[in-house]
Amino acid sequence: MPVAGRDKFVSQPLGAHPAQAAPCRRDVLASMLAICVLPAAMTSARAQPSTLPVIGYLGSESPERYASRLGAFAQGLSEAGYVEGRDVSMLFRWADGQYRQLPALAKELADAGVTVMVAPGGAEVALAAKSATTSIPIVFELGGDPVALGLVASLAQPGGNMTGVTSLNVEVSRKRLEFMRELFPQAQLFAIAANPTSPTVKSQLANLDAAAATLGVELRVLHASTSDAFEELFTATRAIGAGGLVFTSDPYFTYRSRRLAELAAQHGVATITQSRDFPLAGGLMSYGGDFRQSHRHTGIYAGRILKGEKPADLPVQRVTKVELFINLKAAQALGLVVPPALLSSADMVIE
Amino acid sequence: MTERPASPRASLFTKYFLALFAAAVGPLLVAGGSEAWFGYRDQRDRLSDLLDSEARLAAFKIEYFLQGISDQLEWMVQLPWSAGTDERRRLDALRLLRQVPPVMSLRLVDATGRERLFVSRIGLNRVESGDDHSDDPAALGAAAQGAWFGPVIFQGGSEPFLTVAVAGNRSAAGVAIAEVNLKFIWDVISAIQVGRTGEAFVLDAPGRLVAHPDISLVLRADDASTRPLQLLRSAILAQPGQAIAGRDTKGDAVMAAMAPIPMVEWSVIVKQPVAEAFGPIYAALWRTGVLLVAGTLFAALLAYWLSQRMIGPIRLLEDGVARIGAGQFDHRIELATGDEFERLAGRFNHMAGELAVSQERSERINRLKRFLAPQVAELIERSGDERVLDGRRVEVVAVFCDLRGFTAFAAQAQPEAIISVLGTYYDAMERVIAAHEATLTSFSGDGIMALVNAPVACPDPALRAVAMARAMQDCVQALLVDWRAAGHELGFGVGLAMGPATVGRIGSGGRLDYTAVGHVVNLASRLCASAKDREILADRTVARAVGTAVALTELEARPLKGFARHVPVFIVDAPRHDASRDNASAVIGESAPG
Repeated sequence: MPVAGRDKFVSQPLGAHPAQAAPCRRDVLASMLAICVLPAAMTSARAQPSTLPVIGYLGSESPERYASRLGAFAQGLSEAGYVEGRDVSMLFRWADGQYRQLPALAKELADAGVTVMVAPGGAEVALAAKSATTSIPIVFELGGDPVALGLVASLAQPGGNMTGVTSLNVEVSRKRLEFMRELFPQAQLFAIAANPTSPTVKSQLANLDAAAATLGVELRVLHASTSDAFEELFTATRAIGAGGLVFTSDPYFTYRSRRLAELAAQHGVATITQSRDFPLAGGLMSYGGDFRQSHRHTGIYAGRILKGEKPADLPVQRVTKVELFINLKAAQALGLVVPPALLSSADMVIE
Repeated sequence: MTERPASPRASLFTKYFLALFAAAVGPLLVAGGSEAWFGYRDQRDRLSDLLDSEARLAAFKIEYFLQGISDQLEWMVQLPWSAGTDERRRLDALRLLRQVPPVMSLRLVDATGRERLFVSRIGLNRVESGDDHSDDPAALGAAAQGAWFGPVIFQGGSEPFLTVAVAGNRSAAGVAIAEVNLKFIWDVISAIQVGRTGEAFVLDAPGRLVAHPDISLVLRADDASTRPLQLLRSAILAQPGQAIAGRDTKGDAVMAAMAPIPMVEWSVIVKQPVAEAFGPIYAALWRTGVLLVAGTLFAALLAYWLSQRMIGPIRLLEDGVARIGAGQFDHRIELATGDEFERLAGRFNHMAGELAVSQERSERINRLKRFLAPQVAELIERSGDERVLDGRRVEVVAVFCDLRGFTAFAAQAQPEAIISVLGTYYDAMERVIAAHEATLTSFSGDGIMALVNAPVACPDPALRAVAMARAMQDCVQALLVDWRAAGHELGFGVGLAMGPATVGRIGSGGRLDYTAVGHVVNLASRLCASAKDREILADRTVARAVGTAVALTELEARPLKGFARHVPVFIVDAPRHDASRDNASAVIGESAPG
């Protein structure tokens, strides 16, 4: 097991992740992790019988950003009867935000002969996994239409070596615009943040355009595919005088909710994103699927495949729960009064 | 005698064992068997009832889920629509979506069939779109029945959805139409547990799987894979009210029961693995079986023990009887069973004691008979008093007799001839002595001594002695004819004397004889020695005692060995013998007796 200076190669037990990781001190942290984890990993590797099945876990980011998702995954896995170290061993590959590396990392996992590959966290990861193998079962987790993405033949009968969980994130982009419009009934222009590299960006923008037409508003699409471009999104929103900034669904944005919340507060821009992480970190609103549910179901499916079920027979599950989070503190800071229609729809109101 | 009789063809032990065993096991088997059978039937009925009530409970829960949604929808159709935008109703609709997660979207239609409001979790909300829904079956159905449940639709070919429409009390309130995601029934269906591993599932009217604890089965929306469940339903419909056996999607044997939900025409079916459903039955049967086996073993042990208890005393009795039969009269059968066996053993012991006494008596009689006449011996034995045999001095008549010429005969004759002659002789003498109730005291070669009046006194001993002597002579003379014919030149003489003598048993241990000691014995012996063939010589005391009852002729007194003076001698029935016989007799008479 390679333990290099970069933490994307560090294998870690599920759920045991440092709470905070300062990016500037990543190398120090990585070496600390290596020191801490290496003996444990080695002894556990020695103690485990070689017959334990291996889950290859492909992460688009780092273990820290995935911490809560990994917890939900482990929960689902244990519901299916598997506990890491006891019944199954895990092999991790982390892209650390470099989504172009995903296919190579997926290939590494496939070459390592994993029993099942788990590709959570978006269409990019699922597509990378699909490119790596046609025989190893793959469980994906994404927000979008897996049929349209060409991952499965149909939701009911996936047919190939892939199945997984999809959330309604991509479909509900328009609802974010609607909520923003509810907040600013008078505004005629809204800014849209999109990641041009995302496989679902086209469908989402089309979806949003249709919604804008219905709602009678104009949209300005702002692009950002790296975190360096984030600040530009907010300054541009203010510059064009848009009512608010609506984020399309994209894992790259989701995993950087904290940074986005900081920038939104800093620039005083009313913003809605996909993930609850955003309002929890101080952002205004979020509307999207419950990632804990989707990752838990991913864990359950990984377990069922380990038990011998075929991905072709396991229908793609849609996580139906969509949640609206509103942070009233952020609203207050922005000088906004949240209308009752929004408050009564909110699943969680942070005060 | 000690040899056991051959083993009986059928042993009593086997008979008792079989009888007792059958007596114990028969009722046990009948009771156990009927218990098992009725228990099985009761359990089966109970299982049927149990599954039936589980099915009804599950159906109730599903119905409650649907009813809950339609109840919530009723809130939306309580007030009549006004002309303009109804902001309050929009808020209510949003709150309903928030409150009822299974509702994906809600459409409110007014009395004219125009859409007034549409809220959705995914799509955009619409207010006052005015779209015409007057011929929507949901709106029509709700208007007609109050509440309307549509057919199950699998969105995207996978997710089951149901349209629920509710109309208000007044047509002015319009109709609320909701799209319900039936995946949420999973929370209900997966919480239903039948027994330990049993579960419930729901089929709609055409037999499509609507809800199942394994949601992926529902999402597959694959008729082929849910075919066994449909078969299960048709089997239940064929036998209403009963739990039936069948196979589930995995091919496992299950017991299933069904309850309908009439408002949506769904069937809720509960199933439980046969092994688990029949678990209590099998456990009960197994328990009964174990009890039966244990009971049978116990009965066998009991029967064995009882038979052994019964047979043990019998064996002991048999052994005891065999020993007693073998002459071991001191053997006692030790039995303390307190029952008839003990009594029987007592009887045997008593018998053995009696036998011992009887044997002792007969031995004693035999011993007495050696020297006493049988009737005398019997007499003494019966009196039980052998003191009569003790030594004392009494008046006796001693009678001696012997064969003349026996020494010469014994020297020449073959041993067989000698033994034959002696045998015949003794035999005859014994008979004669016994007939006169005299006491035979000794045999010595051809000489015999007998006593009269001892040990048992008798009237006229002298007379009796003379009569006996006569009989002896007659008897032996008859024998002599034959012997002489065979060439044995023998004769026979008798001497008897009367007088006091010491009599009693002398000797030791096994050789105990009754005899007399005294002058009279010697005298009788000498008289016998001097008697010629055919002669009976008596002394004076005898002659006197006899008196005239017998013809006695006094002979010339003669010298006798051991007697200082000549002794007067009397001859009984002086023989009228011719000269030639006389001569021969004289020759024989000279030889020494014995």
